[in-house]
This record gives sequence, structure tokens and C-alpha cells, in this order.
Amino acid sequence: MRLNRQTAQGRWHRRPDGKAKTTGELAYLTDLTAPGMLYGKVLRSAYSHARLLAIRTERAERLPGVHAVITHRDVPGLNRFGIVQPDQPVLCEDLVRYVGDAITAVAAESVELATYALTLIEVEYEPLPVLDSPEAALAEDAPLLHPEGNVLHRTSYARGDAEAAFDECVHIVEQTYRTPRQMHGYMETEGGLFSYDADGRLVVRAATQHGYKDRMQLARILAIPEERIRVVSSPIGGSFGGKDELNVQPYGALLTMRTGRPVRLHNSRRESVIAGLKRHPMRVRMKTGIDAEGRLLAHEVEIVADTGAYATLGAPVLNFATEHAMGPYRIPHVSVQGRSVYTNNGVSGEFRGFGGNQVIFALEGQMDRLAALAGIEPWELRRRNLRAAADPGPMGQTIAPTDGAILVWRSAARSRLEARSSVPAEQAGDPPWLRRGIGSAIAMHGSGLGYGIPDPGGGRLSLTGEGQLEAAFSFEEFGQGIVATLEIMMLELFGCDAADLSIVLGDTDKAPHSGSSTASRSTTIAYQTLRELQPRLTEAMLTVAAAACGAPQETLATGPGGIWLRPPGSEPRRLLSYRELAERAARSERPLRFETAIHFPVTPDPVMGAHFLYTCTAVTVEVEVNTLTGAVTVQSQQHAVAAGKVVNPMGYIGQIEGGASMALGFALMEDAEMEGGRYATENLDTYLLPGVADTPATLEIDAIEELAPDDPYGPRGIGEVGSVALAPAIAAAVRDAMGPGVWVAELPIRRETLIRRFAPSEEGTR
Amino acid sequence: MTRIEQGEPGGSDWQGIVNGEPMRLHVRASQRLLSLLREELGLTGVKASCGIGRCGACTVLVDERPVNACLAMAYQCAGKRITTIEGLADGEGKGELHPIQRAFIEEGGFQCGYCTPGMTLAVKALLDEHPTPTREQTLQALSGNLCRCTGYGGILRAVERCASDSRLPDG
Repeated sequence: MRLNRQTAQGRWHRRPDGKAKTTGELAYLTDLTAPGMLYGKVLRSAYSHARLLAIRTERAERLPGVHAVITHRDVPGLNRFGIVQPDQPVLCEDLVRYVGDAITAVAAESVELATYALTLIEVEYEPLPVLDSPEAALAEDAPLLHPEGNVLHRTSYARGDAEAAFDECVHIVEQTYRTPRQMHGYMETEGGLFSYDADGRLVVRAATQHGYKDRMQLARILAIPEERIRVVSSPIGGSFGGKDELNVQPYGALLTMRTGRPVRLHNSRRESVIAGLKRHPMRVRMKTGIDAEGRLLAHEVEIVADTGAYATLGAPVLNFATEHAMGPYRIPHVSVQGRSVYTNNGVSGEFRGFGGNQVIFALEGQMDRLAALAGIEPWELRRRNLRAAADPGPMGQTIAPTDGAILVWRSAARSRLEARSSVPAEQAGDPPWLRRGIGSAIAMHGSGLGYGIPDPGGGRLSLTGEGQLEAAFSFEEFGQGIVATLEIMMLELFGCDAADLSIVLGDTDKAPHSGSSTASRSTTIAYQTLRELQPRLTEAMLTVAAAACGAPQETLATGPGGIWLRPPGSEPRRLLSYRELAERAARSERPLRFETAIHFPVTPDPVMGAHFLYTCTAVTVEVEVNTLTGAVTVQSQQHAVAAGKVVNPMGYIGQIEGGASMALGFALMEDAEMEGGRYATENLDTYLLPGVADTPATLEIDAIEELAPDDPYGPRGIGEVGSVALAPAIAAAVRDAMGPGVWVAELPIRRETLIRRFAPSEEGTR
Repeated sequence: MTRIEQGEPGGSDWQGIVNGEPMRLHVRASQRLLSLLREELGLTGVKASCGIGRCGACTVLVDERPVNACLAMAYQCAGKRITTIEGLADGEGKGELHPIQRAFIEEGGFQCGYCTPGMTLAVKALLDEHPTPTREQTLQALSGNLCRCTGYGGILRAVERCASDSRLPDG
């Protein structure tokens, strides 16, 4: 289905947070204030690798208006954080490993005072050799950044005998690909408000993608029970994976504990760039071979990821990259080796696509190169190798059957035909320095956390005392629209009005554990939770209503405003409102409140990190390359997405368009370059995010809703899949525009690279 | 007239009109318009993001023209009419939204919403000048405002909706 507002018709649903967001009324967590509030600032390292010889805070402490200066000595519990393995110091003791490392934190009566106080803190460093690349960190004589060495994580996957199978191949392509250190670029930088409530519990109001995980980590750092902490984690001004790990929370919490006063922290953009996570830069070497018919026989992959100074989710990201390095293809002989390497660069971690973006760029580049080598049309080469619905997953694991790959392939095949027929006519009117080309790429993307990682979810459904149908999930709303998706699901399940609903999100005091708002998992968790709880709540409500009104329960149903009598053959009428129902229920012993804990669907096969639910996408683009300036303009994009039913058309379109914009930046302009372990770019003047003028003139979405027959898992999350296949499609289109011999192996595709590589060959021919 | 007393030295008396209301404040010599609006007046619809005038999250209208409040000094805006997102719908009926706000909601012109106040005011300035803008005019007018969530599709459709509404005979 071509998805847009017109085709969505009655399913087009305005977001419930629209009024608050468009009027500026919505209070983000960084907008909050409290009486007597202090302002926190964090001193971060002046070096990317150094021993700390001394930290002197006396001058800062003496500054009038400064209420606290804390160091590692003031961390009562574990002075470490990290979602999987806590190895990042909250406040460094004797060693700094990157420029984002925190050394002290200050609370003062104004931001200016706190910032000034930081300048009075004297830190003595003994600089150490900087490991500014995985290559440097892997050198034999490299100093060890962590006791276990400089390799955070290794992966190894093999089937068949790739080495031997290359002997059978007629065509082999070997290429090394490189991808950039992309920044999340959320518009709201990290921050929030920290305070005590009337019961002396610590209230943390700060952005994250997993409030309960923050609570666990903070309890460990502060050495207080989790129950003494409330985490409010919604709404958020963008995250994209970047706020999943703790950021300012430990400092706000420690400063509040120390001063007993509310403390606000709000990172400047520069602080956000320096301390914040990035997408893993990866070097991916692939050697891939086909037989005479163009069938993939052997595929050898070596991945080296720069994970930066600390672990955070570096290991799961590498697992994901390893799993996705085979794409949606049948390949009998495979060998994948991955290493995620500690360096003194910025910390890499979770980012939309989760390691898939990098390897899909490489793999699709291999397919295009093989097609050229074998003289096979590149999309045809893919068809010959595409997985079938019942095939196992990329690492041989059982997955939910999906023919998404062939469905998106067909959709893209049509897009390619249309583009092939229109491009020559457009080209005819172009000046000679403009070249047009088209390119396509295909990918499959797993959702959920994967085998071997606890992936619990759940939620609560209730009729509140005020007569609201309340859905409570600990998910965060950071723009993705889970609030709208939940509202739509609730409206369908209860047949009620939006005014009857209350959606409670992102508060450990008010919502049960739903797991993280990551990994394209929330829609699936919400669907499965509501599907289980709605019949129970409805049954309980109708029982109360039947007793109250003396009507047979089977003639009752939930509807707009309350419980409706639907006698056969006569007009339905409302018997009692939800409020009246709530009052009736309050008199009975039976609370209208149901909670459940579920687990994200997972493969039964013990393959670490392997996924069970997959979405597929194929992207076709038309680009224009200016051979004088090196500028690549993406004129049109077609995205085919196979992810089950479109619950929320506006949200779906927004996720694909937004994911595509982010992927456009990844392909053409974004790279947080580092030199000697320091960021060469610290703000949005030199780190370029796509602007409105980079929007393609047309972007079409083909939403393929068919799932396998009797698929019980419901609609799939689409938060990431829009960002994974655009970059290789652009790379293919650039090559198509520029002609044979011009292959893109490194992202972003820089203008200067294009000019340098291609312009000289134009001389004399134009 | 709202008057906020501040005892700090080294500043000056500041008068201006904020969202239609005459204001008299004490501003510090080094104070940015962003700080005056967000911190002193509590207008948190004015967002802080890059702090160097590149993202447009802090866009407000000063005498109807879009300005990055993170760059403008407060004293430079003395005597001016300043409109923040909180004041955009002032001309509408009580509880009503401005047509641009309605268009953003209708077309999905926002997700996280953090760029939305600034983006909305940039659209206001565009449409005041060009009620039915060309694509070029729109792209130019909104190039100072970054949105990381939407990919700008919903925003452009919202602008188009406003423009086509104003093309209606009684629009």
C-alpha cells in the first residue's frame, strides 16, 4: 500500500501530544525548575588518556554560591556505570580514558557560577599515549586501557567452509568499507531535574530509554535501595539510542544527595558532543564469491568496531552487526569475525540500527560489485540469492516465517523500472556537469534484544477511580509516537473515545516494567500486553456493569463514554459511564486493574544475540551528482517496508522519513571526526545535520502489511528499519551516475573525495 | 504592566513587549534574549539546543522577524515586540490554536517536538512574507531550523496545508 495521508483515510490519527507540543506548553524534563534549585556542571577531562595525579577542589569550594564540589571520593556505592558491564567511572579516580571522562561535579546557585567554579578546580595530569584508532589499540605494544585488554568483545560465526568454497567461486570481490562516527543529534541535549520528594525519596527526572534500568544503576551508584528512587523519564526531545545509557543522572543524583537541594543539569551542546555516545565507526572487510549462475557461495567478513573508552552496549552492537552481515541472502559458506576495540576516542554505543547500518552498507556494496563483475543486473543478482519465507535466520536460527524479503524486492523492482524510464528524459535537460543515477539496496532488520538477553516487557490496564481507561507502560515518549500508537490500539480494543483514555508513560512510580524503549520492541510489547489484558479488563468491567444494571452480560460492550447495551435487533444505548462504572467498582472488592509481565518473542535456538522477528526493507533512490562541486543530491526515495499492519500511519511515515533523513546524513555529510582522541567538531556549525533543503523532492513509502498466515506477533516496530538501507542505495546511485570504476567504499561520501577522484577524468571530455 | 524587580548591578532597565504584554525588567549586560525569556519569564517554549545560532530551536519573532534568541543580546531587543510560541495563538479565540499549529498537528509536522516552537515561528515568518511560498522560498526560510526526527516531510506538508488554506477564496 502506498502509504500517505490520503490512503490512510480514516486511520489517520492526530497525536495526543500535538497541542502541548505545538503550543510550547509541554514541559520537557530540562524545562523543569524547583524552588531553591541549584545548577550542576561536570568537569570533564582535558586529555583523552592520562593518569590523574591530583584533583584540588578547595578554590572552587570557597567560591561564594558554590554548594558542593564532588569527586570520586563522594560516590557512596559502585563508582561505575554501564548497561551491560559497568566499567565507566562516574567520577574518575586515577585514570582518564577519553575527553568525556568526568572528574568532578559542582552545584552552584547559577549556571555561570557553576561553570566558573569548574575553572577553579586544579587537576594534575600525566598524559599517556593516545590510542586514537582500533589499529593503534590492537598493536602489540599498545598500553592496556582496561585490565582485560583492549578488545571489549569478539564474535565469531561460521557455517560451511568459506575458505574452501572460494575455490568454487567464479567471481570474488574483496573490499574494505568504512563508516563514520555518527552523532545522534537529538535537539534536546541531556539533562533534567533532581530532587527529594516529601517522603525523602530521590526523584530523578531525566531522559533515558529505560527508566527502570536507570533506577537499578543509580541505586548501585548511590548505595540506596531502588525503592528509594523514582525515575521520571518522559517526555524527551529525541534520543535515537543516544540517551539509553546513563548520562547526567549520576551527577544530578549525587549533587542532590550532597546538598539536599534540587539540582538541575542541562548539557550544553558542546558537553553533549564530547560526553555523549556515537554510532560505532566500523571497518568492515568482506570477501564474497558467487558461482557462474550468480549464486552466493562464500562470504567472509571481518568487522572492527571503534567502541571508544568504555563498554556500554558495544558488545551487543557487535553481535547485531555480526548477525546482519549476511543480510537477507542464502549463503552456504559463511565466516564472520568481529572485534569491538577500546580506544581513547569518544564512547560508541547504541544508535538506531544498532550495528546493522554499517554492515548492510558493506554487504550491499559487495552485491553491486559482484553484479558488475558477473555482468548480471544488480537487482536480479539479489533475487537469485534472496531468502524464502521458511528459511532460517542469518545465523541458522529459527525465526518467525517472513516473505518480507521478496515482497520488498518486488516493490523496489517496480520502483527501479519507473526510475529507469524517467531518468534519461530528466538527464536530457541537465547541464553537462550534472549526472543522474539510480540505486537500490535491501536489508532485513531484527527487533527485540535477541537470544540470551533478558527481554521482559509488560504493562498495566485499569479503569481508574476517575473513570479513565488507563494504559500504563514504563516506555518513554521521545518523539517516536508510542503515545499515539497506544492510543490507537486502545481505541480499537475498547471502541471508546480518546477522552476516555489515559496513557501513562515513563515513570517508575506509575507504570510497571515494560523494558527498554529500544530495539524496535515497544510496538510488539504494547500489542501483546494489551491483547492479553483487554479481555480481562473488559470482562471484569462488564461483570460489574451487568450486576449494576441487571442486564445480561452478553448484551453489554465497552464503547464511547462507557458501557453500552447492545440488545439484538434494537438500538444500542449507553447504560452507564466509565465514571459511574468506576464508582460501582469501588464499592465492590474487585479492583478493575490488571497487570502482566511478558517476554519479547525470542528464537528457541541457542544462538547468542540472534533475533526472531525481522522486518525487511528495500530502498530505491535517484541521485544527482554535480561533478564540479562534488555535491550529491538525492532527488527521490522509495522505501518498501514489510513490517506487518500499519497501526499508526502518521507515526509510520514519520519513522521512515525521519530514519531516512538520518541515513542521508550518515551517507553524505555526518562524521564526528576525532584527531588524537579529541573531537574535531564540537557543535552543529561543523557537524552538519541534514537540513530542510536536503529533503528529497519525493519520498514514497510502500507499506507491505501482509505477514505469514496466522502470525501471532502483531505489528512490528519500524523505528530503525527506515535508517538501514538508504546509504548503500545512495552509494549505488552515485556509482550509477559516475560510471564504471567509481565505487564508494567509505561513508560519508565527501564532496572533496568525489571531486578529487572523478573531476580530473572529466577534463577534455566536456 | 508586568514588572519584575531585580537587584543585580551592572545591568540596565529593559522595556519591551513580550507576547503582546508590555514588560519592564532588569537585564544583565551579558544576558541573552534566550535567558531573559526562558529563565526570567519562564517561557520554556523557547528551547535551548546548540547555543550558537545553528539549529533554530530558540527561534522567536522580534518585530515579526525570526531571530535566534541564543544569539541576540537582551539589550538589543529592548523596545521591540517579541513573540514566542506561547504567544502565537493570541489572536485566535480562547483555547484555539493558530492555523500553523493546527497544520503541524494535522500533518505530523513534529515528533519529539523540541524543534517545533522554533520551526513553527519560522513558518509564521515565512507565511507572513509569502502566504503561498514556492518550494525554494520554503526551503530557504526553514534552513536555519533543524529537525532530527521528521526528516522535514511532515513539516513541508504542514506548510503546504497552510498555503493551500490561504489560497481558498475566503481563506
